Amino acid sequence: MQIAEKLQSMAARSPWLYRINAGSCNGCDVELATTALIPRYDVERLGCKYCGSPKHADIVLITGPVTAAVKDKVLRVYNEIPDPKVTVAVGICPISGGVFRDSYSIPGPLDSIIPVDVNVPGCPPRPQAIIEGVAKALAIWKTRI
Amino acid sequence: MKELFSYAFHMLVFPGGVFALCLGLLLKGVDRKVLARMQRRVGPPILQPFFDIVKLGRKETILPASGHTPMFRFAPILGFMGMMVAAMVLPIPGVWNGAEGLGDMLMMLYLLPMPALALMLAGSSSSSPYGAIGASREMILMFAYEIPLLAVILAVAFKVGHATGGVAEFSFAKIVEYQLQNGSLIFDWTMFPAFLAFLMFIPGTLGSVPFDLAEAETEVLEGPLLEYSGPGLAMFHLGAALKMVVVMGLGVVMFFPGTIPGGWITNMGWFAVKCMLLMLFSVTLVRAAMGRLRTDQTFKFYLKYPATLAYVSLGLTYFIR
Repeated sequence: MQIAEKLQSMAARSPWLYRINAGSCNGCDVELATTALIPRYDVERLGCKYCGSPKHADIVLITGPVTAAVKDKVLRVYNEIPDPKVTVAVGICPISGGVFRDSYSIPGPLDSIIPVDVNVPGCPPRPQAIIEGVAKALAIWKTRI
Repeated sequence: MKELFSYAFHMLVFPGGVFALCLGLLLKGVDRKVLARMQRRVGPPILQPFFDIVKLGRKETILPASGHTPMFRFAPILGFMGMMVAAMVLPIPGVWNGAEGLGDMLMMLYLLPMPALALMLAGSSSSSPYGAIGASREMILMFAYEIPLLAVILAVAFKVGHATGGVAEFSFAKIVEYQLQNGSLIFDWTMFPAFLAFLMFIPGTLGSVPFDLAEAETEVLEGPLLEYSGPGLAMFHLGAALKMVVVMGLGVVMFFPGTIPGGWITNMGWFAVKCMLLMLFSVTLVRAAMGRLRTDQTFKFYLKYPATLAYVSLGLTYFIR
């Protein structure tokens, strides 16, 4: 029993990140890139690593209002991510639609399509806010693995 | 029966198996930490590769619907087992004598490309276009780096063979014994070009940054590993960790297998330190300093510089007895 708990706490220290751009204006994506990829806001110290394939991912960061054109693709990529997984909505667009709210090309906020665990509001959010969102996602990830 | 048990112990626990896995994952952790410090950031904890492996073992496995499923499941095991055997064959100076066979160096030459072959199988059986591109790139890379490796190994074999009165010596135990008596080959000026060629060979065979074209995240999304998830991916990472130990150990055995006074424990630590130093200079420093090369540039690089250096050494060992 103790070994299982030990293994669980070890596994919880290795969340790999994956980014989905669901019709974003690229503002949040630039902030995400500068969060993990530059030395100043290094998230690798939390054990995170950006991975290229959705099949390696644990924490999904989704930017942009989910447009009608990408809705099916977002669902398909989301279903390719192996369980357990945690979803983080980055920026105001996936949370409420932002300035695109009630547009004919937006089939609704992100949480009406896939379950969202953490919201990081802002247009775009500051890198510190994104790191806080990742840290909150880590706490949820610990309970799921 | 007793012999069988001892073989199983050597393969699963001491020089292969548990010991080599722990050393390999530790080397990977040190690599990531030192790279982070070179880029002036904090970096992950040194034990991060262990955490990654444990986590991947607990994840779900997703199989590609249109792939060749038996091959897809078999490929990671092939690379992992090949490296387990290679870790058992390789001697640790002052601790373990290796296979003590006549031609274990040639056996190593056939075992070393096993992870690359596993990657090719994985890429081509996953039914993903990125996987197929990754597999073909891995094949090109393998053709490029095998030639300098062959020349380096022949240079070392001829050098030790001539010195001990024969033609060529393909036994690791004899090579280590010769160097323990007559000084390491790295201090021999005729072998220095071969050592440089081996340093250039290391990042290619490990697929680290200037030559990571098969797994390039930004181009082919990790290539052959794209469709793997959970335990299969963990197996590939374990195989890569074992390969790190085997390649660094090969460098230590061929060029500087000196021992230090003390028992087998101090010598094991000395071996680990030498592996780590070789890794820092050939993998981490290069990874921090360079960007990725194109496929054609990689191929030309390997056939121009390391191959020339290794052939210079081979010629010198032939003419200067």
